[in-house]
Amino acid sequence: MATERRADVTWTGDLMSGSGTIDTVGSGAFGPLDVSWPARSEEASGGNTSPEELIAAAHASCFSMALAHGLAQAGTVPEKLHTSAVVTFVPGTGITKIALAVRATVPGLDEPMFREAAEAAKAGCPVSQALASVPEITLDAQLG
Amino acid sequence: MPRIERSATTTWEGNVARGTGSITGETGAFADLPFSLPTRLGAVAGKTSPEELLAAAHGGCFAMSLASELTSAGSPPERLDVQVQIVMDEVPGKGHLVVLSKVDVAARVPGLDGPRFDAAVAAADAGCSFSALIRATASVDVEARLAS
Repeated sequence: MATERRADVTWTGDLMSGSGTIDTVGSGAFGPLDVSWPARSEEASGGNTSPEELIAAAHASCFSMALAHGLAQAGTVPEKLHTSAVVTFVPGTGITKIALAVRATVPGLDEPMFREAAEAAKAGCPVSQALASVPEITLDAQLG
Repeated sequence: MPRIERSATTTWEGNVARGTGSITGETGAFADLPFSLPTRLGAVAGKTSPEELLAAAHGGCFAMSLASELTSAGSPPERLDVQVQIVMDEVPGKGHLVVLSKVDVAARVPGLDGPRFDAAVAAADAGCSFSALIRATASVDVEARLAS
């Protein structure tokens, strides 16, 4: 069965001096969130999110679930996975890189088996597949 | 051009069926958002999901791209309302995949006629980096209209 997830965004004015709001999302879990071009294209400041930060959040969460699934299927349920995703955006070019890093506590698992499970999660999670045309997606996976 | 980095972190505990996680963005704009498998695939119960975050990202990206194109055409928008639905489906042999991003735009743009608006929408879709990423593996449907 298909799953649909929705977001509503409002924008006023031009790109450089205007601003937008991610008003609501279907779940109601967050929003309203302010967005603007300066906040997107300069150093992160002022607590404003951006499409790239949301993509980082989507990828980190998707990867974590896929890895939890793979580890549990192999009989080694993770105690804890801590994942970060860093999205690199070059205005005019687009997203050039996503760097995933995971630190995990998984009783009874050795490092090579963990790295193998992490690589499989990176390849298989739906967000990885949706973003497969990003030129570079890296993974740093370590236990402990 | 400058390289801009944006990051987010998640923690996850337990297996996928019964475990839970939380998501935090580095800017602090959102923090400790809970997520889980049942709420990702079924009733949302107030919890976000990777696909909802993609919908929000696409909406933000598309709105900025269209504001830029309309301004270049000499008619900056008064207001753009952009709604995005990300559709994930189970594809035989491939598991769950994002198959569609559906973008719906209602725009208030003083002094702009339909053909020039349509041209700006097409240029915005081509210029939105997220549209291009999704289109590499799935469909992007854009419906846009001028509101009075």
